[in-house]
Amino acid sequence: MQFDSFTFVVFFAVVLCVYNALRGWAARKWFLLIASYVFYAAWNPLFLPLLIGSATLDFWIARRIHASARPGARKRWIVATLLINLGVLGLFKYHAFLLDNFAALLALAGLRYVPARFDIVLPIGISFYTFHSLSYCLDIYRGKFEPTRNWRDYALYVAFFPQLVAGPITRFTQMREQIETPRRTTRESLGLGCALLVLGLFEKCVLADTVFAPVADTFFNAVGTAHAAAAWSGTLAFSGQIFCDFAGYSTCAIGAALVLGFTLPINFRYPYAAIGFSDFWRRWHISLSTWLRDYLYVSLGGNRRGAWRTYVNLMLTMLIGGLWHGAAWTFVIWGGLHGLFLAAERFTRERLLPANWQAPALLRFGYGLLTLLLVTLTWIWFRAPDATTAWQAFAHLLPGTAGNGTDLDSGQMFAVVGFALVTAVHWLMRDRDLLTWQQRLPAPVIGIALGLMLAMIMLSPGDNHAFIYFQF
Amino acid sequence: MRSSTSSSDAPAGRRWLGAWLLAVALAVAICALAEAHWRAAGYRPNILDSRQLWAQQRERVDSGSGVPLALLGASRTEFGIDPKRLRERLPKYRPVMLAVDAHYPLATLRDLAADESFRGVVLCDLDAVGYLRVYWDMQQPYVDYFHKQWTPSWNLHRRLLTDWQRNAVIANPAFGWKASLTHALEGGEPFHDYIRYYANRSGDIDYRQTDPESTKRHFAQTMEGNIAALPPHDPQRWLGDLAPMHAWIGAIAARGGSVIFYSSPVNGLQRDALQRVFPREQYRDRLVAAFPEAHFLDALDVPALSRFDLPDDSHMDYRDKPAYTDALAATLVERGYLSR
Repeated sequence: MQFDSFTFVVFFAVVLCVYNALRGWAARKWFLLIASYVFYAAWNPLFLPLLIGSATLDFWIARRIHASARPGARKRWIVATLLINLGVLGLFKYHAFLLDNFAALLALAGLRYVPARFDIVLPIGISFYTFHSLSYCLDIYRGKFEPTRNWRDYALYVAFFPQLVAGPITRFTQMREQIETPRRTTRESLGLGCALLVLGLFEKCVLADTVFAPVADTFFNAVGTAHAAAAWSGTLAFSGQIFCDFAGYSTCAIGAALVLGFTLPINFRYPYAAIGFSDFWRRWHISLSTWLRDYLYVSLGGNRRGAWRTYVNLMLTMLIGGLWHGAAWTFVIWGGLHGLFLAAERFTRERLLPANWQAPALLRFGYGLLTLLLVTLTWIWFRAPDATTAWQAFAHLLPGTAGNGTDLDSGQMFAVVGFALVTAVHWLMRDRDLLTWQQRLPAPVIGIALGLMLAMIMLSPGDNHAFIYFQF
Repeated sequence: MRSSTSSSDAPAGRRWLGAWLLAVALAVAICALAEAHWRAAGYRPNILDSRQLWAQQRERVDSGSGVPLALLGASRTEFGIDPKRLRERLPKYRPVMLAVDAHYPLATLRDLAADESFRGVVLCDLDAVGYLRVYWDMQQPYVDYFHKQWTPSWNLHRRLLTDWQRNAVIANPAFGWKASLTHALEGGEPFHDYIRYYANRSGDIDYRQTDPESTKRHFAQTMEGNIAALPPHDPQRWLGDLAPMHAWIGAIAARGGSVIFYSSPVNGLQRDALQRVFPREQYRDRLVAAFPEAHFLDALDVPALSRFDLPDDSHMDYRDKPAYTDALAATLVERGYLSR
């Protein structure tokens, strides 16, 4: 079920009451696990066994890795779990992409192959819970900690409903102590958690769905008809939508967890105020970028094998990160472009301007704007359904491609102004922590802000749009 | 964040309690003001039709007492037939409204034929235009939504949303903050909708709230535009394309059901245009001859059904809906297609 549905309101109210009414911590954990499975089954109960099976298998394999004394045996177990997890992910998410590209390769050789079409539904959240499980097994393999002996605790770590379907991708080290130590709702966690839920829903319902999505959809559904101003408004609208949609989900997840007494890691830290691309990836989808850094980039050798190999590892990490988002070349190109930006930035920092990297404020601001511009343009590859549409979208950003019109309708104006406001907030808050900052605000100010956001949510009715990251 | 209640939680708790009391009071006040404003301007709450509402009805096809009677078609069915009234007149059946405004119905007929659990009767609106191959899939997105995305969770959401929409004007996006701001900036006001929907997806058109003559002209113009845009067609090809319907009707009949194709009443410009482009003797009559396994009924052949005034030549005013539904039920029974 989605956070922005009436069903979730009912579900969460019931969970909150029962969770706090139960006396023992073990009982409360069992209840949370069952609630998480109900939450997941609400989408498609047929995939619940896959979630339970995947978690159980990794729980068992992690224990086998830890129990194995010989490095060879440990390696075999970790390879097994990698093959199983990535195999399942590949089957559900990438089978059509792989078959289509295999057919295209054969076609180059003059061979005709028409792959069979399987009507396989992608289990929601599979990319996220697979990464949860993999990080656990890899950390056990690396000897970072001992595996838990309790299946329920591990299953709860994987399936904890606030972060189950779209993250943040938590590590077991972040959750273990919280799962093993009794906790419950406090007055402060209830107040702050609900406030974060409202903030997340505001980002999702008011900004992403009402202000940005209609303009972005109109542009990308009919790129060929847009004049330059409309193309820019559509591109900015999608940049606003993707942030508000995903950060909105993460904020809701953090808020819902907090109400139950759990602290999830921050997933977004004002990314549109990033100064440079490495800074952007320290602020955007932090739990994924750190996952890719720790388990992919480092595993590939990171920066330990010379300059050239560092750049190769960087590119590979970003290309695979792009592919993680979706089974299409457009996502690979999106990841590849970010890899290029990161590599170019690293090269500049290390070779061209090593002494001047701590530049004056104005220059840093200029670089921040350049970062924002390139990030925004790169989103076109993320949103466009295919490469042809993406190229067409870029062409229409140039004046004169589809007439010289400059008129924007009110919806497009809202989107442009909305994006400017979101960006301004990011710059104002870029060095602040929201949770610390709110403590300094008087209760009436918080109350008025929450009241206005609540009213805006209520006054933003419409169809429920699935969170964009659900499809990943 | 502390993980258990402590004395130090009290000040923070009081701070949040104050903030939330203010927040809820402010949000309620703003929404109440907006609601009062729109109601004072003459607007009333209205349920909004959607794929979720359709899926909720589609689910009813397979559950509940009585023989399911699936009502398929487009606007003439959705705004003409009253399922509640039909149930009263035909207590043996459980009418389910699956017609979709501006969407021709064959995708839903195909889906019901493929549904092994469907053991009922289909009353499917017959309009020669809508049976062109190019229009078969118009309702397919609804069918796909039902089979791929519809869950008990969405069912509960939609029930609560329907209650909210039934009671609050501001539950309609036309009265949301963005639409209101747009009207404030650009002038104008929200459209005064003259169609009222019910949770069972039946709709009432109140022609007192609009100008029927201009609606009639609008429909006629739209129809001429649609006719001009139609793909090349001829009776032979049209009928040939419909061959798969034999299998659909057969599948429904094999499970003890039946299919009734019903041509709803049309008048004036609409009827003239349809007759000009799809002459009844070349299209509809050939279909009747080619599909002896189905039942056919044309409102124009039944004075009790064709006597109604259609303000826009195509749709029934809601005040005529009960009488029209009664006449339809009586005719279907009289012809032996349904029983009481």
